Amino acid sequence: MMREIFANILCPFVGTIAFSALYNVPNQYYFCCGITGAAGWIMYQCALEYSSAAIASFFGTLVVVLVSRMLTVRMKCPITIFLVSGILPLVPGAGIYYTVYYLVTNQLGLAAQKGLESVKIAFAIVLGIVCIVSIPREVFQYTYWKERRKRKG
Amino acid sequence: MKIRKITDNKRNYIEMLLLADPQEDMIEKYLDDGEMFLLEDHGDPKTVCVVELLKNRRCELKNIATVEKDQGKGYGKYMIHYVCEHYSNRCDVMYVGTGNSRKTLEFYEKCGFVNSHMVMNFFVDHYDQPIYEDGVRLIDMIYLKKNLESEVDVKKVVDLALEAGRILLKNGAEIFRVEETITRICHRFHVDHVDIFTLSHGLFISAENGNEEAYTKVKHVPLSASHLGIVAEVNALSREISAGDVGIDEATERLKEIEKMPSMKKYFQVLASGIASGTFGYMMGANVIESFVTFGIGCVLGTWMLLVKKYGMSKIISNIVGGVIISTLAIAAKNILNQADLRIDGMVIGSIMPLVPGLAFVNAIRDIADSDFLSGTVRMIDAILVFVYIAVGMGLTFSIYNNMLGGPLL
Repeated sequence: MMREIFANILCPFVGTIAFSALYNVPNQYYFCCGITGAAGWIMYQCALEYSSAAIASFFGTLVVVLVSRMLTVRMKCPITIFLVSGILPLVPGAGIYYTVYYLVTNQLGLAAQKGLESVKIAFAIVLGIVCIVSIPREVFQYTYWKERRKRKG
Repeated sequence: MKIRKITDNKRNYIEMLLLADPQEDMIEKYLDDGEMFLLEDHGDPKTVCVVELLKNRRCELKNIATVEKDQGKGYGKYMIHYVCEHYSNRCDVMYVGTGNSRKTLEFYEKCGFVNSHMVMNFFVDHYDQPIYEDGVRLIDMIYLKKNLESEVDVKKVVDLALEAGRILLKNGAEIFRVEETITRICHRFHVDHVDIFTLSHGLFISAENGNEEAYTKVKHVPLSASHLGIVAEVNALSREISAGDVGIDEATERLKEIEKMPSMKKYFQVLASGIASGTFGYMMGANVIESFVTFGIGCVLGTWMLLVKKYGMSKIISNIVGGVIISTLAIAAKNILNQADLRIDGMVIGSIMPLVPGLAFVNAIRDIADSDFLSGTVRMIDAILVFVYIAVGMGLTFSIYNNMLGGPLL
């Protein structure tokens, strides 16, 4: 149990912060980057219980982009900062390794399977980002909801 | 010729101010609130002027005077041009009030002022003694106005916008952000007709404001290492510019400073690369010992990335060698430490992460989502190729190890 908590909450948090440092993100945003990464990874793990890696990646990405967009409006800075570091835990790094490994050991069927799975995950991420990015900007602003409530009375 | 702003001891120039406005208590009224500028040529004060800010983005030129022996040499005209440009950030219209004298009216008309309105009997009501100019007694105050938009230099604005765009593009901003920033800056300085064409490695911009000929510029922006801190700073600056707080010259200066923003300290980059590898490895299912080895591999990889940056090596070399380093070190660790629970895949998966082109990948997707297909495709190919390079590097090492040295994988 301890390992699960450590591996699924603390590791993506710290890892994402380390990545944002590599991309030279200003340090006042570190904490938010960490939260984005951790949120996405937790969603991914939860979804993985019930579905395939690609679908889980899709849901993970949804959460990452949603959190980044909310943080962007709040912190008044480019969305790229949170998005890039937050999406990294979901990028299929393991997929490349297995694809290469099976290729080298001449297990071409498995290599194709792993390779295609990585491509599938990549497309799931694309879809996730596109879905949330196309939501209009106003929805994420506090004033929008306040005015909406006022209009309804 | 140099113009500077005078903030204290404004009364030192009262002699010159009196040339234009003969009554001292009238000058006192605006001297403290107004902003004062002094034009000096070879250290000699030549022209002085006072401008007062009014409400609703308007300002009034209260006083402008040139020393008597240097009148008619163009100092006054230069001063007005400078002041107009200076205030074009904050104001739309500049007013100037003057007596009904042909000489002064002609001067202001030459500087681009047009008639606005009149205040009857101003000089009779406010001045103790009658004022004569060219033998005519001044009675009414004539106000002239000038639209400050026309004073903005299109070239300067476009250069500023282009520089901001270039810095953004170079440091890994999306196409959409680059174009939005350029448009925002241009509109702020009243350059309304602006066309931008942005590629992942080039900027084309053409602008006009209706008064001058169109101005076009092209900028090549080679792909290079990204720095999200700079993107955030330029973004903040562009917000300030569109809010009207920053002028052209100040913005240009600040852009130069922003571009000099340093990267993380070197040991910190190496450490970050190690920590990223270690934690991601553990997250993806490595055990504790593997994670520590991964941390070490990540640090070595971080050092390699620094070397790549220092010598400006190509992406192909840096990523293939990166892949080789990861896999060689993982194999070495397995053989040297000789532990049963040390798996190569556990170590490699974590250490790949610092090489993964996250920024290119995300930007490619965002560009495609914004229908910037051309740049999106280029960046996507960039990202995919990096994946391929890493795979080639790892494959190379694995096949040598497996086929030539006969070592077992897994």
